[in-house]
Amino acid sequence: MVAMTVPAGNTSTLLSPARVAWRGRRWSDLALWAVSLGFMLLGTGALLLIVLYVAAEALPALKQAGGLKGLLFVLPWEPLAEPPSYGILHAWLSSLLVTALSLLLAVPVALGVAIFTSEIAPPLLRGLLRPCMELLAGIPSVVYGFFGYVTLIPLFENSFGLAAGECILAAGLILSVMVLPFVASTATEALRGVPGNLRESAYATGVTRWHVIQHVVLRQAAPGLFAAIVLGLARALGEALAVLMLAGNATAVPHSPMDRGQPITALILTELGEAGVDSDKYHALMAAGLLLMVITVVINLTVLALKRRMLSRHV
Amino acid sequence: MSKPQSPPSLSVAYLGDRFATVLVWLTGLLALALPLAILGFLAVRGMHVMCWEFLLSGPSGVPLGSAGGIGPAILGTLYLVGMGLAVALPLGVGGGIYLSEFAPCAFWVRLLEFAAECLGAIPAVIYGLFGYALLVVFLAMNISLLAGGLTLGMMMFPIILIGSRAALAAVPSLERESALALGVSRSWVARRILLPRAWPGIAASAVLAAGHAAGSAAPVMFTASTVFTVTNPAMTTPVMTLPTHLYNLVSEAVSFDHAYGTALVLVVGILLVNALSMLLRRRLPEHY
Repeated sequence: MVAMTVPAGNTSTLLSPARVAWRGRRWSDLALWAVSLGFMLLGTGALLLIVLYVAAEALPALKQAGGLKGLLFVLPWEPLAEPPSYGILHAWLSSLLVTALSLLLAVPVALGVAIFTSEIAPPLLRGLLRPCMELLAGIPSVVYGFFGYVTLIPLFENSFGLAAGECILAAGLILSVMVLPFVASTATEALRGVPGNLRESAYATGVTRWHVIQHVVLRQAAPGLFAAIVLGLARALGEALAVLMLAGNATAVPHSPMDRGQPITALILTELGEAGVDSDKYHALMAAGLLLMVITVVINLTVLALKRRMLSRHV
Repeated sequence: MSKPQSPPSLSVAYLGDRFATVLVWLTGLLALALPLAILGFLAVRGMHVMCWEFLLSGPSGVPLGSAGGIGPAILGTLYLVGMGLAVALPLGVGGGIYLSEFAPCAFWVRLLEFAAECLGAIPAVIYGLFGYALLVVFLAMNISLLAGGLTLGMMMFPIILIGSRAALAAVPSLERESALALGVSRSWVARRILLPRAWPGIAASAVLAAGHAAGSAAPVMFTASTVFTVTNPAMTTPVMTLPTHLYNLVSEAVSFDHAYGTALVLVVGILLVNALSMLLRRRLPEHY
């Protein structure tokens, strides 16, 4: 989602509208107030419902042998074994590996794109880069998965001699293209936020443009750049279809980027259809979803806090 | 004897600057080339299956989908997104009006926005998981247009809410206060001043949310989609959707020609939708 900043303080604080409406006894105003409040609460109430419902359905997963530790670190994912065991170690490790690889590839390029857009590019290219990034961000996950499937997988099979080309590296590569526009646009915003007079005073000392970028602009924008990277992390963790199609969907614990893996999102999409309601598997999937939800929400809130702090510092 | 100074064009700083500049230019050009390469690739491989029959007729052949077209999938995606909009647009715009016009204090605004941002941060697959558990199973809606539309609506709500709140907040307070000073009601202000000024922003966010929802397979895979339908979409029956159809074609290795075609239709459709959103945003007095 494109981050939008809302100009603060535009709500009139002098007149509390609900109170004015009440005093004026205007039934149309009261109706609008009630309906808009109701819609607001109904919409945001969904959040509470999602969190509580998923958490409640995830709780029974702790009842299997080993509890939380077993679920997260010890047990393998073996639904067909006797007795079946549902540990999600392989899933979160795969998620971690895929995400780390994708960021390793995407962040340097995204920073380059951001520096190019805000400091170096001629106006024509600058104007072209924004729609290009939006285009990249607009391509759906499943299309990226398909694109990777027909380009990367044969390439991997031929050049690395793998029996099947699906692996964590392939998923990470495609994922890096997917998070690139999000990291780049947030990083560009951060660089643009650096005040022009800082740049100009630095130039006045006679140093090169790169010196200014490296020692003044990048340093000044560091919190914003960090926020951009963290935002990319959240996006990469939550991507589902592309990693489902490319990571190989194997339930073994991955040891290297060339192994097949099954990130959390892929685990959920693979198994949900076959999980009987209220079965152990169903609860384990809910627990995996809860883990993913908590991580991504915490990450996004960190980004928001960072952004707010930056805004208050510059204005 | 002082050493002769090297000319500035050979100094370390100058070379470093040149080197870094070249690197940054390369990444910039890569960013320009990537989307064009992906689009071009899909267009070249997918163009030859493109015809009216492909767009309008249902899948056929053995295995299913290797012949025929994607008509029901396009229709199903449109129905699902329309259903999602029908849920999310009133809720989002209503919530936006509440936040910008009626919220009693800044803390309450911040709390509700915080909740909306959390909702926006939840990955699409979690919406699918939740929709399946609550709507499909617990509320016994089964895998249906209704369950999928509600799931997509929940996913679209925070985008529309944040977008319409921003669009409403961008209307100058001078205008609304002048109107209120003349003694008109709040609802008149909302109807005759706020909405006419803010509608392009609201529409832009709704269109953006619709494009986002149309491309996501994860939320509808277990709430609304099926491999094949012939009947017209109805509330209680599952529908075909473009993203899940593409996924099925690839994962079951049915037909790569048709997969290219489906991917091309999906991407071009979403691009058009996003372009519309951009045009709408341009109608706003100032960019936010």
